[in-house]
Amino acid sequence: MADFFSNLPQYLVNGLGSGCIYILMAMGFSLIYASTGIINFAQGEFAAIGALVAYTFAVKLGLSLPLAVPLSVALVGFIGLVLERSVILPLREKGALTAIIGTIGASIFLKSGARIIWPEEAYKVPEFTQGQFNLPKVSFNAQLLWMLGLTFLVVVSVYVLMNRTKLGKGLRACAINPEAASLVGINVSVMSMAAFSMAALLGGLAGLVSAPFANYRMGLYLGIKGFTAAVIGGLGDVYGAVLGGLTVGLLEEVVAGFLSVALGISSGYKDAVAVVLLVSVLLFRPQGLVGRGLVEKV
Amino acid sequence: MQEKAFDIKTAARRVWRGYKAFLLFTPFIMTLPLWAERLGKAISLNIVYLMRMVGTFTLVAVGLNLLMGYAGQASLGHGAFMGIGAYTSAILATRWGWPAWIGILLGTLVAAAVGYLVAPILRLRGHYLAMATLGLGIVAYIFFREMIALTEGNVGIREIPKLNFLGMVISSRNGEFYFVWIIAIIVLLMCQNLVRSRVGRAIRAFHQSEVAARVMGVNVPSYKMKVFVLSAALGGLAGGIYSHFQGYINPSQFDVMLSIQLVVMVVVGGMESIWGSVAGASLVVFLPSVVEALPKWLGNVPAWVRQYSNYEGLVFGAILVLTMIFLPKGITTSTVDFFHRKIRKAAALMGEESTDSPPRGE
Repeated sequence: MADFFSNLPQYLVNGLGSGCIYILMAMGFSLIYASTGIINFAQGEFAAIGALVAYTFAVKLGLSLPLAVPLSVALVGFIGLVLERSVILPLREKGALTAIIGTIGASIFLKSGARIIWPEEAYKVPEFTQGQFNLPKVSFNAQLLWMLGLTFLVVVSVYVLMNRTKLGKGLRACAINPEAASLVGINVSVMSMAAFSMAALLGGLAGLVSAPFANYRMGLYLGIKGFTAAVIGGLGDVYGAVLGGLTVGLLEEVVAGFLSVALGISSGYKDAVAVVLLVSVLLFRPQGLVGRGLVEKV
Repeated sequence: MQEKAFDIKTAARRVWRGYKAFLLFTPFIMTLPLWAERLGKAISLNIVYLMRMVGTFTLVAVGLNLLMGYAGQASLGHGAFMGIGAYTSAILATRWGWPAWIGILLGTLVAAAVGYLVAPILRLRGHYLAMATLGLGIVAYIFFREMIALTEGNVGIREIPKLNFLGMVISSRNGEFYFVWIIAIIVLLMCQNLVRSRVGRAIRAFHQSEVAARVMGVNVPSYKMKVFVLSAALGGLAGGIYSHFQGYINPSQFDVMLSIQLVVMVVVGGMESIWGSVAGASLVVFLPSVVEALPKWLGNVPAWVRQYSNYEGLVFGAILVLTMIFLPKGITTSTVDFFHRKIRKAAALMGEESTDSPPRGE
């Protein structure tokens, strides 16, 4: 028990780092859900591909990071756009089950494609700057500061985009009522495309800042944890994602630490923490921790 | 109206109309080992061997079809129930030497019990339910991997004994084939009767509109739970049989990819179609072997074609998306519809109305 408490600051710092990743993932889920009513099961794959593409650009092709990072993120954004045009557009307004199967199909297609291009178990994605900080009881990489900074920047830019630009107004209008939006001249189809591309950008960024190592399989867990974060923050609430992401990141680290250090249970169960959290939140507070009650139209 | 005397002709006609597919399919499958051996040699496919896997997957696919196709409740974690059945039976057989058929029965019960325990997630709808079941599938996989004392973890359980039934050891390929297909035919028959019954109409009603079904007096939560438990049990049954066929199981056989393969079976075979599950299971089981046999049929094929497992996900992903876009009813229902249209057209040309409309929900 004493071990657990002396490790606690480290858990919190680690949780802060993974929390940032989940925030970015959750914002992607929420953006798409808000403007199209679809949950994108391929969101995790965006992250995996973002990280793997960054590896190829930065390590294989030797591009400098300030060039490789925006290029990778842009490429993933483009994949999101292609996905929306090829899968979501033909399946629009055909019901939830159809959309689920469509995006699941896209997800394993992307994962399998990534496996062909990047078959190894681990690719080293370069850190933005080297360096480690050692404080009493806590140590962390410089990458953590990048994560925090970039996440903050992204949250602010999404806020500005959603509230101060015409695109953002269009997206929000689609979220409230797509039919009314199209009546006042908003192109709902373009908005859906924009939402998917932006979500893919966010996912790609999440992936490439996240891990020192990347592989084609990492998308599944990032996806389901990001979704958990989105649900906790209230799905469709782009800023709720911040609360949700931090909750999932911190809880996961602390609970996993408690299980392994205090109770001696294998840390292999760590990934199950988020899922259990997800199911409990869905069952007991489906509107999220801060949201109001859900009303379903018939 | 006067009660009609029992008329053997009418009765036979009614059985024929109601169970046409069964009356055609049962003799086909029961005689299959007699002729498939030679055909299989000719086309380099071990048909009997593959068909016994088709039978196994048919069991779980038809259960998932009741849940997803008929009741409209997505499950992306059904591989977990197969895993539970497989592990239960394998552990009982290897540790305690229990006969396989008792292990399979218990595996079915354990899977049903777990299904009952997690059934509260059926309160969730649409995307939420899909994500929650995906999550439960992941949790099950993690448990298979981490409960090493019970499941041997990643090492897996080896030397699972062959099937036996009431003391009779079933180890030949044909024996296994008949064992699984007799069960599968019974299950298919039961499922078809179920979907044609009051229960079947009720679950299709809430697929269309939950509120409307409730208003009509259908106890939606109770039906959802029952269908879910039934499909979990069928998953457990299939898993138990699978483990004795394979002789070796490990956690990665029951990961998310399996659950997605099961969804492919249901979706591509045809949602809301009992026979679609058979077609879907056949497709997923035969595909890798057909690709493997391609060089023998065509002579030279590019090297990458032969490495099917490398791009399996690519194929399944594309199949899922393309089916949803172009054949949302799946191959079975679309084919049947196509022929019915043709027949009707031909009948119309001959100047008579066709009255032979197919019974709904097959």
